[in-house]
Amino acid sequence: MNDNTLQPKTFGERLREGIASFGLPRLIIAAFLLLLFIAAPFVGANFLTQISNVLNRFSWNAVLVLAMVPMIHSGCGLNFGLPLGIISGLLGGTISIELGFTGPMSFVMAIVIATPFAVVLGAAYGWLLNKIKGGEMMIATYVGFSSVSFMCMMWLLLPYHSPTMVWGFAGKGLRTTISLEGFYDKVLANFLTINIGNLSIPTGTLLFFAILAFAMWAFLHTKTGTAMTAVGSNPTFAKAAGVNVDKMRLLSVILSTWLAAIGILVYEQGFGFIQLYMAPFYMALPAVSAILIGGASVNKASIANVIIGTFLFQGIVTMTPTVMNSMIHMDMSEVIRVIASQGMILYALTRKTEGGKR
Amino acid sequence: MKKASARSIIFKAAALLILIVIAVVMFIIGRGHTVYIDNKTLDYEGETYKAFNRVNVYVNGERIGKLASRERGKSTNIGQSFTMTIEVTREKGNDPETYENLEFKLPYNWDGIVINVPGYLNNLPQEAWMTEFVSQTTEAPAEEEVNTDELDEFALGDF
Amino acid sequence: MNSKPSVGKKVLSFLGDNLVPIMFIIICAICIPVSGFSASYLINEIVTRMGRNIFLILCLLIPIMSGMGLNFGMTLGAMAGEIALILVSDWQIWGIPGVVLAMIVSIPIALLLGFFCGKLLNMSKGREMITSYIISFFFNGLYQLLVLYMMGPIIPIKHSSIKLPRGYGIRNTVSLLNMRHCLDDALAVTVGGVKIPMLTFILIGLLCLFTVWFRKTKLGQDMRAVGQDMDVARDAGIDVEKTRIISIVMSTVLAGFGMIIYLQNMGNIATYSSHSQIGMFCIAALLVGGASVDKASIGNVFLGVILFHTMFIVAPSAGAKITGDSMIGEYFRVFVSYAIITVALVMYETKKRKMKSRLGLQLQADQAAEEAAAAGKAGVQE
Repeated sequence: MNDNTLQPKTFGERLREGIASFGLPRLIIAAFLLLLFIAAPFVGANFLTQISNVLNRFSWNAVLVLAMVPMIHSGCGLNFGLPLGIISGLLGGTISIELGFTGPMSFVMAIVIATPFAVVLGAAYGWLLNKIKGGEMMIATYVGFSSVSFMCMMWLLLPYHSPTMVWGFAGKGLRTTISLEGFYDKVLANFLTINIGNLSIPTGTLLFFAILAFAMWAFLHTKTGTAMTAVGSNPTFAKAAGVNVDKMRLLSVILSTWLAAIGILVYEQGFGFIQLYMAPFYMALPAVSAILIGGASVNKASIANVIIGTFLFQGIVTMTPTVMNSMIHMDMSEVIRVIASQGMILYALTRKTEGGKR
Repeated sequence: MKKASARSIIFKAAALLILIVIAVVMFIIGRGHTVYIDNKTLDYEGETYKAFNRVNVYVNGERIGKLASRERGKSTNIGQSFTMTIEVTREKGNDPETYENLEFKLPYNWDGIVINVPGYLNNLPQEAWMTEFVSQTTEAPAEEEVNTDELDEFALGDF
Repeated sequence: MNSKPSVGKKVLSFLGDNLVPIMFIIICAICIPVSGFSASYLINEIVTRMGRNIFLILCLLIPIMSGMGLNFGMTLGAMAGEIALILVSDWQIWGIPGVVLAMIVSIPIALLLGFFCGKLLNMSKGREMITSYIISFFFNGLYQLLVLYMMGPIIPIKHSSIKLPRGYGIRNTVSLLNMRHCLDDALAVTVGGVKIPMLTFILIGLLCLFTVWFRKTKLGQDMRAVGQDMDVARDAGIDVEKTRIISIVMSTVLAGFGMIIYLQNMGNIATYSSHSQIGMFCIAALLVGGASVDKASIGNVFLGVILFHTMFIVAPSAGAKITGDSMIGEYFRVFVSYAIITVALVMYETKKRKMKSRLGLQLQADQAAEEAAAAGKAGVQE
């Protein structure tokens, strides 16, 4: 039924259409979060503290979720290979500290050092994904896993010496968690922080994300950006229009990998620690489910999806433990998080892809 | 198709029935019990039955306990019937008497079963010498941290 | 058309087809002497692990046959097996009867889970693998919900040795002491210091026979047809969706049995982690044996288990000897497992693309030839 037909739609019809376009799981998750917010004051949780927590977690994770956008646009699907980018970021962070940078400078240098790694790894990854069009997601997952387990060996073997990072007794091999105190701990979060009573807003981090998100939005509206979207939505047409499909896909993968590298650095500055070894292993999954919860699909995503999705996802992650615990004295938050996030990914994967790609 | 489906329903029902029968049989023959054999002094209706000097307990030809007085032996048993052979030395210096293949019916619902040898050998009624084993150690319920994090037990374990 | 490719080409194609096993043989050949394990220790370990794992890995064959790729959803079967074992050990059914009962109890659970998995995979044709992978995570959440919160209040659990002290939920490990090795020790034969768990191997043999027989049945043929080409199969009157669901359900049920065999050898259940990696390791082992995403045989399973587990046993020790750090070897074997799956997936996808483009070219050529022929005919007629 078209919008310009004269017959007015009944409310029920509209509702059903609205639900259909929004997706039932998404609706359930949004309603659940709303319920949590409503319930929070009744169980004695301070509303403003809760909001601050959610905002904080949002600011840590938003860039990682943003990293999903380019690859979805170019038709490479959900970037389950996010750990590859995260590794570039980890390399950047650790090398920056190893070289003796401290304070905000260490953050800038971490980004600078991470960039070449992200570009090289991303290019190799993109080249691989161009070889196997159609099977990207599964292979991306395993590229992520292999690279994380490979780096596990490297963290032990690479010649790091900074005493803040290596195991004290052996004098070599990086620790599993490295404190960022004195380095880039909260460098963005402490910039222009707004404190009103219990509410604290990490303005700096949010601003940083806003800049990146705007840049991404602007990029998607440049000639290259629209070409990339064209490749994703209709590769045959794009090819006919003279767009180099492989090049566009490669570019999107590099962009995605680089954003993941930045994303993990932003996450670390908020969290206060670098987590190495197996930590990046499953980091792709929360980011994937966040963007899907925000309304993206396997081949369609916008900046709004990123913002809404991260907010909903992190809202559930932060709110459930407090609210559930005080309500039923059972900490079911972990299980709920797993079911909600994996269920969302599952939902997206079982939808028929629009555009007749397959 | 219709004919085949009627046949297949019968076939499926039969398969289901067989599985249920096997399951029931397994419930009966597979019930495991821990049997504790006590050589302890027993008081029953005013009488005292003294523990023996030494009791050797054999199950399936294997000695599972050499019990001095006030000692307890332990054996695990699958199924509701339990057979053991005991060698009893009543007083120090006496010759051992052997009781071959004593058979016991074990109550299905008891996980642990205590058999008191002096009570049994004095032909007391069953409730006197067969009791349910109740764990004595009431350890403080130390809370156990449940670990559902995939990363911690990540593959580094054995496979 | 030259019908006889040169010997060099033959060797090259053989190497190409068996790249993964050959790589593994090389890795093992390097690691075994370095690790310093004795031959008898190694053989003993490998035989044990064969008994433990082959049944689980065999359950992957049927979905491959029906073109659904590597069934990461076998984890669901493993969960069914674990739930059954938890219940059976709470009911205090021991020994072989306990194993048999657990298998029977696992069947309905596995049927249900397999059915869901099959339904979901039918909704995501073309990306079954990633979907089945996410399914395993999703159901892991449901499994935790069941085991951590429902066992106790809803599903009665009597014994405090299994239940968490807080009164509901299952402990991190459930001991299977009374079931431990009950299959392996029955009919066990010791040959030259190597214990061979005959009964387990008989079960494995039966499953192998079943698999071979099943390929020849009507259903098996249907599955292969579906695996070859869904559209063609549908035209031939095969209910594609149903066939695919059956294939996943079978795999799930067998995985449940396999998990029970696996756990009776291990002797305890790690309630929240036993199943989580099992799919990955089984798939890695199968691929190491030279299988691919669309083709796997029983031979691949056996070769894969032997090679993969040799690597698994010797890598930590070899890694420690070479680098002086015991963790390196641990990470190395994990890395190799993942890398092997990655390589196999990449090889499969590139092959698929090549085939597609070749098919496209052939189709074009055929069409051109047909048109030419038609034109020729038309010309003659005129």
